[in-house]
Amino acid sequence: MLDRKLIEKVIDKALSNGADFAEIYVEDTYNSRISFNDSKTKQSIAGKDFGAGVRVFYGTTAIYAYTNDLSERSLLAAADAVSKAAKGGKIITSIDLTKNTFTNLHPIKIPNDSVPKSEKVDYLRRIDKAARSVSDMITQVDMNLLGKMQKIMIANSEGLWAEDSRTYTRVSANAIASKGSEKQSCSDGPGEHKGFELLHEIDPIELGEKIAKTAILMLNADYAPSGKFPVVVDNGFGGVIFHEACGHALETTSVAKGASVFADKMGKRVANPVLTAIDDGTTPNGWGSTNIDDEGMPTQKTVLIENGILKSFIVDKMGSIKTGYARTGSGRRQSYKFAPASRMRNTYIAAGTSKLEDLISSVDYGIYAKKMGGGSVMPGTGNFNFAVNEGYIIRKGKIAEPVRGASLIGNGPESIKQISMVADNLKMAPGMCGSVSGSIPANVGQPAVKIDEIIVGGRK
Amino acid sequence: MYDKEFKFIFDYAQGKVDDIEIVLSATNSFQTRINQQEIESFNYSDAKGLGVRVIVEGKLGYSYTEKFDEESFKMVVDEAVENAKLNEDSDPAIMADYPAVAAELDLYSKELDKVDVEDKIQIAKDLEKYAKAADARVFNVPYAVYGDTKAYSKIANSKGLNKEEKQNSAFCYVGALSQQNDDKRVGIEFFIGRDFNKIDPKKLAEISVKKSTDLLGGKPVKSGKYPVVFNNEMMATMLGTFASVFYADSVHQGKSLLIGKMGQKIANEKVNIIDDALHPEGANSRHFDSEGYPSQKTVLIKSGKLNSYLHNTKTALKDKVNSTGNGSRGYKGSLGISVSNLILEPGKNKENELLATHDKVIEIVALQGMHAGANTISGDFSLSAEGFLYENGKRQHSLKQFTVSGNFLKILQNVEMIADNFHFNSSSIGTASVLIRELAISG
Repeated sequence: MLDRKLIEKVIDKALSNGADFAEIYVEDTYNSRISFNDSKTKQSIAGKDFGAGVRVFYGTTAIYAYTNDLSERSLLAAADAVSKAAKGGKIITSIDLTKNTFTNLHPIKIPNDSVPKSEKVDYLRRIDKAARSVSDMITQVDMNLLGKMQKIMIANSEGLWAEDSRTYTRVSANAIASKGSEKQSCSDGPGEHKGFELLHEIDPIELGEKIAKTAILMLNADYAPSGKFPVVVDNGFGGVIFHEACGHALETTSVAKGASVFADKMGKRVANPVLTAIDDGTTPNGWGSTNIDDEGMPTQKTVLIENGILKSFIVDKMGSIKTGYARTGSGRRQSYKFAPASRMRNTYIAAGTSKLEDLISSVDYGIYAKKMGGGSVMPGTGNFNFAVNEGYIIRKGKIAEPVRGASLIGNGPESIKQISMVADNLKMAPGMCGSVSGSIPANVGQPAVKIDEIIVGGRK
Repeated sequence: MYDKEFKFIFDYAQGKVDDIEIVLSATNSFQTRINQQEIESFNYSDAKGLGVRVIVEGKLGYSYTEKFDEESFKMVVDEAVENAKLNEDSDPAIMADYPAVAAELDLYSKELDKVDVEDKIQIAKDLEKYAKAADARVFNVPYAVYGDTKAYSKIANSKGLNKEEKQNSAFCYVGALSQQNDDKRVGIEFFIGRDFNKIDPKKLAEISVKKSTDLLGGKPVKSGKYPVVFNNEMMATMLGTFASVFYADSVHQGKSLLIGKMGQKIANEKVNIIDDALHPEGANSRHFDSEGYPSQKTVLIKSGKLNSYLHNTKTALKDKVNSTGNGSRGYKGSLGISVSNLILEPGKNKENELLATHDKVIEIVALQGMHAGANTISGDFSLSAEGFLYENGKRQHSLKQFTVSGNFLKILQNVEMIADNFHFNSSSIGTASVLIRELAISG
């Protein structure tokens, strides 16, 4: 993407006032989005993201500058700016870049830009038709088809020089059901580190019917009760509970500051022995997978918690310097506009041995959260919240009537200890995770789990 | 600035489009974070991008680029034309040369440009230092940040419109964590403005610490229905979260609760909500919107009655009204609608009068989970909250984390009293504290 001589010059410049480490990251990305509602293509937009970031370290200080003028003059100016801010690091001379090669774990079959836009629109039209044919109560179906092709190059003062390309495809669909002035909606958004072949694997009719039926079910549902109950959270996007309740607090960004509730828990019991949790950047074509992270390190499969014992944090380069833990290939960023930080990839609770039915039948009165919405956490306190998008009452060990409008709140380290049963039906689901280094694709996942007691915020 | 680039694009588009509009934004920003009195991060940026919007046979198409060369400029026009041809939207779109607004807003401080970087770093260091010193229960200050931004924007179209604007601003924030037994709480305080000398790091730090320590020692709340006061910051959070109910495009797409409610009483008569893009204290004030349309003040709810939606020229044309100057578009995005400075007008009561109206009142001072726990289509919300229990106007104790649930429209209807402590939040949404008759609390 850039000439090797120029890369070396920029790194040399960045080091020129003394620094422990210097890095350049270059990105050239093609983004496209088709928006569809009112049964029509409403918007189609495409464009090019393009720029470079230069980073240096001295001690535990990171300095970052970015520009989207990739001329030699501008890149050297960015390198000069970071070098002037870095005072007192080592003087490193003579950088020799060697290009790294690796096996591509995430092959793309059909590049996004090779498919005519009309074919993409046809796909969305089929979802729309399927959803609307479920009932007259479906008054709107809102869809987006996103494609992203990101080419990156990373080089640093340790001699690293690596390039990678990543392709993402995601369709998101939201059905709105209305009755009088009341509205309820249900959405789904499958996405993977794949090209257009993803859409051959997902049946648009099934997707459209599923969201329409759930929106109508919720429209006719009563509000959820309020109070403390046992909750069975089903598989797939239910994994957002682990992501929010624990995952963020395991990132070295919060561990290094001592702001994480897990900072002093390495090797200790943090969960029930039935719980094993993994963060895996290598899952073939996973939504959160990449060959190398955004610091150029090959990604890994990292066991975070094994049988209830804390085994690893999620570690980027600066996090490793600050905490002393080895890097896990978890340095990620949204784009050249962000310095990388320790971030999750495909994060999930490993499959257990129980059956979903066993979890349900163990509850006398509680909530079955079939489908979760998003959530958030305050890493310093571990307090989290997330929304139940499709919920049911469990009564005497059986799934009963649907309920809506519930959220679950709790404290990460406390709630994780309340997970007492883990089913065998592991499934992953994609999401966009927002944090210090921007919004990035991350998979969450889990089999169904039973939480013995958690606060349910309903309206009754 | 950028006249040469704009001319190249206009020339290349000649004959390919009926009309074309180009928006450009160029920003320089700086941000630093302090941890343990050391610089944790230090970021600079110099970035720009341009987006085009074309009309081809009455249909809109979009494209953008951050790469500024002739090849990319040609790509941007060709992509936009292709995208317009794919568009099936039958609503008409227009571009025009809009007049300038009469008001002269003060959006740029030359003084701010001159502030030495060492002084900026000192602000962040002081935020951390004063927060740590303020109370022995503070065990961590995870956020001590200073940043500033200079932004240049330009918009031109083939009807002759050509406008530009320069803005700058500084911000800083401090977050303190305090602990008492097992109870850990966070408090965050924020500054945004153009006057560097107005930043008082000691005061900001002390407020953030007080926010955090006041909440310590929380007791569980009994689940049930309570009168609730949202303090001025949290009422702004609620209003901002549900602001899209006022967007005409949400109404047209059947995604707004206010569909078909124009002129009707939708809120308590005490409620007056306006959007004012010319407000002298608003951080989102501007001379024109993303279509170059002049800024204005728009009354959305007047004495409880719905008075107007927020429009861009496209939604205005459909409703046969004038745009309200709320067209919104980053260079990467498509034309939408957004609020500028959204304001719930204050009342005359003191905040402590609101808290003394019932024998039990819950005051909410922190909310979490807005993006997941609030449904802007149904208006329903169930959010994680923090706050205090008041009995007969006296603060009893703080509460353990709880949830508050209800519906946004019902909140507007159940407003009992509005205080006089008007305040803009960091997103330039301004409200005072508000007493709501009844909401479901779960703890």
